[in-house]
Amino acid sequence: MTHVALDRLLPEYVRKFTAYIPSKPDEELMKLYGCSRLFRLNNNENALGPPPAAQEVVRKYPPPRAAVYPSGDVYYLRYKLASLFGMDPNQFIVGNGANEVIGFVIKAFCEKGDNIVTADRTFAVYEWMAQFSGFEPRLAPLRDYAFDEEGLLARIDERTKILFLCNPNNPTGMYWNEEKLRGCLDRIQDRLIVVVDEAYCEFVEADDFPDGLALIREYPNVVVFRTFSKMYGLAGLRVGYLAGSPDVVDAIRRTCIVYSVNALAQEAALAALGDQEHIARTRIMVAEGKRFLKKEIARLGLPMIVGEGNFVMIKLPMSDALAYRKLMTEGVMVRAMTGFRVPNHIRVTVATMDAMQAFVQALKKVLESQVRSARALGSL
Amino acid sequence: MNRLQVSLNVYPRLEFLPVATSFVEKASTAFGLAATEALALTLATEEVFTYLCGAAAAGTEVLISCRGHGYYVEEEIAFKAQEFDMRAFNLTGATSFEDEGRTRETGLLIASRMVDLFRFAESGDRLNLTLVKEKAYPAYSGEAVSTAKPLDEFVVRAPDTEELKAFVSLTNSRYQRYLIPSSFSYPGKVVDMVAVGDYRAAVAVDPPGSIGGGLVWRRESAKMVEFYGPYLFAQPPESTMAEALIDACLHDVARSESLGLISRYPTPEIPADYFEPLGSLAFRQADGALVELTACYRHLEEDLGSAVWADPRLEPFLSREYGRLAFAREIRRVEDAGESSWPFSVLSAEFDRSQARVTLRPVWWGRDSEEIVGAHVETLRKEALSCLFFEMDLGKAWQTHFTAALLDNGFEPRLMIPYGGAGDIVVFEHTSDGSGS
Repeated sequence: MTHVALDRLLPEYVRKFTAYIPSKPDEELMKLYGCSRLFRLNNNENALGPPPAAQEVVRKYPPPRAAVYPSGDVYYLRYKLASLFGMDPNQFIVGNGANEVIGFVIKAFCEKGDNIVTADRTFAVYEWMAQFSGFEPRLAPLRDYAFDEEGLLARIDERTKILFLCNPNNPTGMYWNEEKLRGCLDRIQDRLIVVVDEAYCEFVEADDFPDGLALIREYPNVVVFRTFSKMYGLAGLRVGYLAGSPDVVDAIRRTCIVYSVNALAQEAALAALGDQEHIARTRIMVAEGKRFLKKEIARLGLPMIVGEGNFVMIKLPMSDALAYRKLMTEGVMVRAMTGFRVPNHIRVTVATMDAMQAFVQALKKVLESQVRSARALGSL
Repeated sequence: MNRLQVSLNVYPRLEFLPVATSFVEKASTAFGLAATEALALTLATEEVFTYLCGAAAAGTEVLISCRGHGYYVEEEIAFKAQEFDMRAFNLTGATSFEDEGRTRETGLLIASRMVDLFRFAESGDRLNLTLVKEKAYPAYSGEAVSTAKPLDEFVVRAPDTEELKAFVSLTNSRYQRYLIPSSFSYPGKVVDMVAVGDYRAAVAVDPPGSIGGGLVWRRESAKMVEFYGPYLFAQPPESTMAEALIDACLHDVARSESLGLISRYPTPEIPADYFEPLGSLAFRQADGALVELTACYRHLEEDLGSAVWADPRLEPFLSREYGRLAFAREIRRVEDAGESSWPFSVLSAEFDRSQARVTLRPVWWGRDSEEIVGAHVETLRKEALSCLFFEMDLGKAWQTHFTAALLDNGFEPRLMIPYGGAGDIVVFEHTSDGSGS
């Protein structure tokens, strides 16, 4: 077999980039780790699933419709978003998950020599997407687990095209309130695009949390990301969207891939959008889960970072990657945080009480086994 | 620092020998080797080329490439071999002097002793032989260039050249030799290694610039990063400097292709909570006494599990370690089904003579493996090299054939390094009485 001259064909920034390898399917993981059931507490999915109307859409979807192309620009969902948020349908672009719209924005605004600015410990896809597209990601360290305005602004120069803010931040749950966000936007003015990723906004309980969509009118350089994967429980169907001022969205649309959101996903998202009862039920589940975890994790003497969103972060007295593997053998999957540059922490999705209890039980066992193993080996 | 490459295509015929040797001598000098080292690489080339004149396939060319890497020159000789006999590269190849039929290969043996490292790789019907010769550097003078004091406040950052040399000197003056990489014997070499990116370094300094500690790390394989340290100089026990240095390293490697971070020689200051104890190996202290060190490991990602190859005699060790460390592994047995096999084995040897330490690695497996492993042990023991290790890659099924030869020659499995090679690596240690240490 002849070899492809990848050294010559691949741009250097792709050659240097390491592909992200997602988890194996649950069944394979259960076989590997020898567990009979698996609580998925690693991806911040909604344990209650999609709202009832969306479930009905999935259940009754006519198989012959699979042969027909979906709406290329997700027509009806954009109209419903516009009506719900008092905006124009052309101010929305829907993508195959929010990950896809990150790519749209970077492709629209960045060219050779440009950079993007974000935090070092936040959702990794902004950094990755910039890196493998050949643009420099400039990373400002978090301050007290939150985005640091001064650190971000210090990294902006004339070649910075996009600032990515994750609000509330994944994985810490810390957020900028409206005053803080406005203050930063005022300092930036219209020098660059400011993306406010609100993937977890529907979970937020705090009164002073800003509504990014409402700020677009005042700050036309703001682009807001939202998703149906978290609160609306449609992660498996991949639907996310961005919203912005008409001119900015028109510019981004030039780099969009149409037809990327499948028909079932469009209909399920349409049915799910704005279901306040579902949101209330989920918030109650998350609040109960956080209360339970606060009490139990405090009993274990471990520091826990609880912010907004359906997740918490726990500091462990051991390697998070080892804790991940040991928890897997107990049938609990969490997110190890070394990859987020927060070593010795795990992020845990707040889910139903049975999952929370199983997690706490498993964590106790892991910590006990760690103590036993440290005793057996003696101190290093 | 340059990373340029120059190449020569030449027919393996004796009349072209001066062309090949002149090319290597001029190239290695241009890449920064001093006359003595350039000559050693040239003489090694002469031996290999002379051998190839008799062994390479007729009508094919030999491609000789030289690359500069700042602190060493790497020469690659790629050729099509008809009867290339790699046995000559065994440490025990000296026995071939007595074998009249194999005197031709003694040239290769001489070549292998003239360079700092050699390795083989096969690519289709071609063989690639890589020779590495390092630059000569002044050895550490024995004096620390700066004094150490407890730091009230510090930041962790990459050092500049003079800070790096000061850090290396402080480390040499305050830590036992077995806790320091051999490269630290030559501070200038460490500077060049950092400059070309083979080492990464972080130091903890206070605002006036006093160095309180440091750490270096390097990519050991595609998926493994090895670090040395953390080295702390006169810091109080409650200092968080060790954690800060490890955090800096983790920050650097966390979103890379590396899967694991390992320290085979952890200092007493290492934050134990950060790591998984893999197992222990014996090292020699300055007074000659042996000390056991527990290798520290940290996986950098969520493990997706994998399959490994193993001889049934290794299974109890592997099952125990995989269970203890909760690594999901499918152990695939490799057993002799009477199939035909190559008659000769070849091992490579990496020396650290200052530590009386040798690590053997399989290059080729053959039916004489037990004899070859035994001969290596005997040769190395005669040279007073008391710390003998053997690394077996469980991602390469053929390497597991060495298991019986190792166990029967007094080696025992001591630690498993996840993803240390193509698969997990098992490090065997030779015990002097063959009954375990």
